[in-house]
Amino acid sequence: MTEPAMTENSFCRRCLYSIDHPLGLVLDEEGICSGCRIHEEKDRLDWNARWTQLESVVRPYRSRDGRNYDCIVPVTGANDSYYIVHLVKERLKLNPLLVTYNKYFNTELGIRNLANLRIRFDCDILTQNVNPVSVRKITGTTLRQFGSVYWHCLAGQSVFPVQTAVRYRVPLVIWGAHQGLEQVGMFSHEHEVQMTRRYRKDHDLMGVEAGDLPSVFDTLTEEDVWQYRYPDDGSLQAVGVVGIYLGNYVRWDPKTQHELMMSTHQYRTGRFARTFDCYDHVDCFNYMNLHDQLKLYKRGYSKVTDHACREIRHGRLTRDQGLALVRYYEQRPAENLDLFCEWLGVTPSSLAFLMDLHRNPQYWRETAPGRWEFKGWSSASGAAAAPLEDVRSCEFTATGKVDTRERRSYIVIGKGYPT
Amino acid sequence: MLKKRLVGVITVRDGWAVQSFGYRRYLPLGHPEKLAENLDRWGADEILVLCIDRTRRNVGPDFDLLRRLGSLGLSTPLAFGGGIRTVAEAGAIIQSGAERVCIDAALRDAGVVGGISALVGAQAIIGVLPLSFDGAGLQRLDYLSGRSTPLTAADLSLFDRRVVSEALIVDWRHEGMTAAFDFNLIRRFPAPDVPLIAFGGVSEADQLKMLFDDDRVAAVGIGNSLSYREHAVQMLKRQAGGTSIRAARFVSDSR
Repeated sequence: MTEPAMTENSFCRRCLYSIDHPLGLVLDEEGICSGCRIHEEKDRLDWNARWTQLESVVRPYRSRDGRNYDCIVPVTGANDSYYIVHLVKERLKLNPLLVTYNKYFNTELGIRNLANLRIRFDCDILTQNVNPVSVRKITGTTLRQFGSVYWHCLAGQSVFPVQTAVRYRVPLVIWGAHQGLEQVGMFSHEHEVQMTRRYRKDHDLMGVEAGDLPSVFDTLTEEDVWQYRYPDDGSLQAVGVVGIYLGNYVRWDPKTQHELMMSTHQYRTGRFARTFDCYDHVDCFNYMNLHDQLKLYKRGYSKVTDHACREIRHGRLTRDQGLALVRYYEQRPAENLDLFCEWLGVTPSSLAFLMDLHRNPQYWRETAPGRWEFKGWSSASGAAAAPLEDVRSCEFTATGKVDTRERRSYIVIGKGYPT
Repeated sequence: MLKKRLVGVITVRDGWAVQSFGYRRYLPLGHPEKLAENLDRWGADEILVLCIDRTRRNVGPDFDLLRRLGSLGLSTPLAFGGGIRTVAEAGAIIQSGAERVCIDAALRDAGVVGGISALVGAQAIIGVLPLSFDGAGLQRLDYLSGRSTPLTAADLSLFDRRVVSEALIVDWRHEGMTAAFDFNLIRRFPAPDVPLIAFGGVSEADQLKMLFDDDRVAAVGIGNSLSYREHAVQMLKRQAGGTSIRAARFVSDSR
């Protein structure tokens, strides 16, 4: 990819994304990005007709004799899981098998939300626990190789549902929103894009599949990574596995959806240090912290930019307000790094050394040993940011706590929770 | 009889694989080499990588991308185009591992194209013709100026003389649209002996079958819609059926 110096012309005039977005981003002749253009469809499409289309898409997959599940639904103790299951079970009246990958970085809040999810929606659930020795080895390797502590989570969450579809011979997998469509407008909603192995490798896994990880220069072996291998084409074809995205058929708005689930199904939320959105990823100690900090090091922006762009597009923030929020949050230190060091068995200074290796010189300049100057997106955006007190139009409500402080460690296995 | 080909087309703009709509609107897709790797596993009969901004920017072919594609060890024949200005550049593309070169703007320079043909052979050259049908005749688009002019005998001279082996007929007006390819572009193409590759607005199996049933069509190119679902190539091949194309294949062991 070409990497020209960032100027104001590198940014969308409507949101805060730049053409350096890791998923790819196209600016049109008016300086508006592909993500904002596709977002316009949310206010143009006939969503009642889209829902009818969804009903026709899922109809052939209903179990005729009720002796198997109708579909597989990947879930976690956060994200859009409640709303997805609500749509699948309560509106489409399907009988889903919920599947979840144990990411090990679990918070109590996430364990509670997941337990409440399966109880309230009365669903069967299958949990994949990959042995912790392999997960640690993989995490150490991916952190060293490409600065990711989250590869195993992304790989596990995206492959276990597909493996389950093959094993249980339940061909339909139902996902929530398509990240590429929502963030950068990779597809129109009307393309009705489905899950593909190519997208997973290209974007979810940062170009690295399980089979690419083992190396003669590392201790990681096939025995550590085979659980993350995508089913082969023959297996997928034999079962007819199809992964659809609800976001193609429902006007996707995570804030509104989460608030509905908070009021009707007791989904609980919690605040983070590095973003204003306290609804996403409350199940994980690392996603909004260590993982987010690494994103800032490698990509020059962090999750708060994603959240601000989404809220700008939904009209709940102005561009200036979004930029003010980004500048307020993005340099805040990541929390809970001590938990990660304890889990992985590294010292804080070793972790800091490994993280610094992945600072992208396009966005960071070392001015003195250990001192870094940030040259990332928010510093190049240019536009004046609104005072932070003006950002009240986009309130997020915390109903719980991500870090309960009563328990200072990951919940590596969490089977249930008194709701 | 030689089999006809389903060509997976990867449109590249500023280094990214993109969806292209009517030569004027683009959506990002991903890394071109990841799309190529996928088309290779799916059993596309040919992969055509078209870098659409190289000529306009006058920066020559994207050899970095070509090197990355070459490192994949693709078993599918690769055609590569975009930015080719000289005989040497075309030769370097073939030496870098592509089976064929795709000539667009340089097609207007008979001297350069003749030199390329002498160096790599006519069979290794595809000529790109963005066309439309205005009710009276075929119009050829000069995408650099945005102007369309009637397709003339001079435009077809290189094809008629077999300096170029195949014509990539691009229905640019319907590019990226669903089931919209204008069959007039094939039926009214005035050089009946030139093998044609139909591209632009082809997305459905019944279109594919109709095009394959036409003797003039040697191949059909599909771009955007191959990224919409898993096994898109295999599904199209199965649905289009017949013996004119290689059968669909599903790799059964990815390890």
